[in-house]
Amino acid sequence: MQPAPRTLSVERLPIRDERDVVVVRSRVRELAETLGFDPFAAAAVTTAASELARNAWCHGHGGHAVLEQISDGTRKGIRAAFCDQGPGIADMRHALEGGSTGQSLGLGLSGSRRLVDDLAIETARPRGTAVTIVKWARY
Amino acid sequence: MRSGNPIPILRIKDTLLVTVEVDLHDRLAEAFQADMLATIERQGAAGLVIDISGLDIVDSYVARVLAETARMTSLMGAETVIVGMRPEVAATLVRMGYTMSGVRTALDVDAGLGLLSRGHGSSSA
Amino acid sequence: MDFMVALKLDERELSIRRAFVGLHDEDLQRLASLRPIAEKHTSEVIEDFYRVLLSQEETRAMFPDPATLERAKRAQYEYFMGLFAGRCDLDYAADRLRVGTTHERIGLAPKWYIGAYTRYLWFLHHRLHDEIPSPEEREAAFESVHKMVTFDMTLAIDTYIAAYLDSLDRHRAAIRELSTPVIAVHEGVLLLPLVGALDAKRSERVMEAVLLRVVEEQARVVILDIAGVPVVDTGVADHLLKTTAAVRLLGAQTVLTGISASVARTMVQLGVDVSTMHTKSRLADGIQLALSIVGKTIQEVAG
Repeated sequence: MQPAPRTLSVERLPIRDERDVVVVRSRVRELAETLGFDPFAAAAVTTAASELARNAWCHGHGGHAVLEQISDGTRKGIRAAFCDQGPGIADMRHALEGGSTGQSLGLGLSGSRRLVDDLAIETARPRGTAVTIVKWARY
Repeated sequence: MRSGNPIPILRIKDTLLVTVEVDLHDRLAEAFQADMLATIERQGAAGLVIDISGLDIVDSYVARVLAETARMTSLMGAETVIVGMRPEVAATLVRMGYTMSGVRTALDVDAGLGLLSRGHGSSSA
Repeated sequence: MDFMVALKLDERELSIRRAFVGLHDEDLQRLASLRPIAEKHTSEVIEDFYRVLLSQEETRAMFPDPATLERAKRAQYEYFMGLFAGRCDLDYAADRLRVGTTHERIGLAPKWYIGAYTRYLWFLHHRLHDEIPSPEEREAAFESVHKMVTFDMTLAIDTYIAAYLDSLDRHRAAIRELSTPVIAVHEGVLLLPLVGALDAKRSERVMEAVLLRVVEEQARVVILDIAGVPVVDTGVADHLLKTTAAVRLLGAQTVLTGISASVARTMVQLGVDVSTMHTKSRLADGIQLALSIVGKTIQEVAG
């Protein structure tokens, strides 16, 4: 069992409408820049954040995002959690493999997984989902 | 953002050139699409070049809007090319599984105009 | 580099290390009670030890002037006395790691560190023998000192290892960079000879390098030569297709060359869809095709 990465900074942003999605996305982009992510890694994590924030807004009836700068001793990274109050993902494996339970829900999730180092989903039925992604800076 | 015309459309002879520089979030994306189609309907155009070199992020939503718009305008007779995609955007899209096949692409505005003037080019290949 | 995190040193790890060495609270108390004896003798021991260090050319070079030597001796004193502070918590470990980091940074190799500590241990052994009359107490004292020293040394060695692994990672990254050479063979035509295995990580780097060069060179054709790729399975095929798709998004075409008979067989049997790229067996044919795409041709020169 490894100790969790250390949090260097944390902030919480609301996701209520489409403008919030853009705000969250911009903030993730800024964090990536601050941490010295190369353009490909920055684009990947920002796009994943955009997908998940949009999901939280569109399918999740709104919620919030928690953005952290993290470190595991050797490298720095971003951890972003997207929490919504939605109906929850009934069939998680289906969604992860690219099937759609909503319009774009499936692709958004499985697509995002390929963009980040780690993606974890916690679902609370009957309502609420939290998707957490981790992307490390790379040499 | 001026209402009704958020993204300027330029005309070069019978080709339209539109440069997308702002984040295409929902209402803006819908307006953009509507604008493009309305303009072509009104003025007619043989070609359309959509320059996305100003976009550093293209998520699945924006990708879909762009691809849809390109297909719609093509249907209306304006050969459409999407140009200027950034390397990191291209890499991210294909990693997500979005190849935007069926939409013509070119490196930049010059290449896009060249493609249209030649009357052929790499489409879904 | 934060060694506490790199070594995953939290309360749990700390107690595991202490348990392994057998370092219990009574050992710590005993060490604290030995502090006066240690204070009495440590300076003398350090003088002895540095005499040895200065007698060896390799180690003498580390102390070029008296000021540096004095600083080192004082630091050494504090370090050895730290054994008798009566505590072994995360703060103590962090302290020890800080010192270890310094050692590694100034180039103090493990052999010197271990040599120094072992010498100290034996010097102390003799002094304890003189200072503690009761054999049982002596045994107990020495056991506690031994455990503490072992705990310290393990941390120090782990620090060296962590630092080496980190350096290794960075070298690996540099090698990855070097192994994706993209060559501009003609205006608008890029060639990437792929040599060696293509795993997911490497493929990603290859794709990114290609895309950057396409923009830089304003390329319209990319030739991917896979003659040097030992195994072409679904994974590799998938990477090639992804790269082709990404290159197309930048308005360029891909020509896949170096396809051997067996690779052709495999790709068809796997059902790989190569409709999105041109394919050739020989690189020369691929170059010819690429040139034709950019409107050029190779001609025989008369005479």
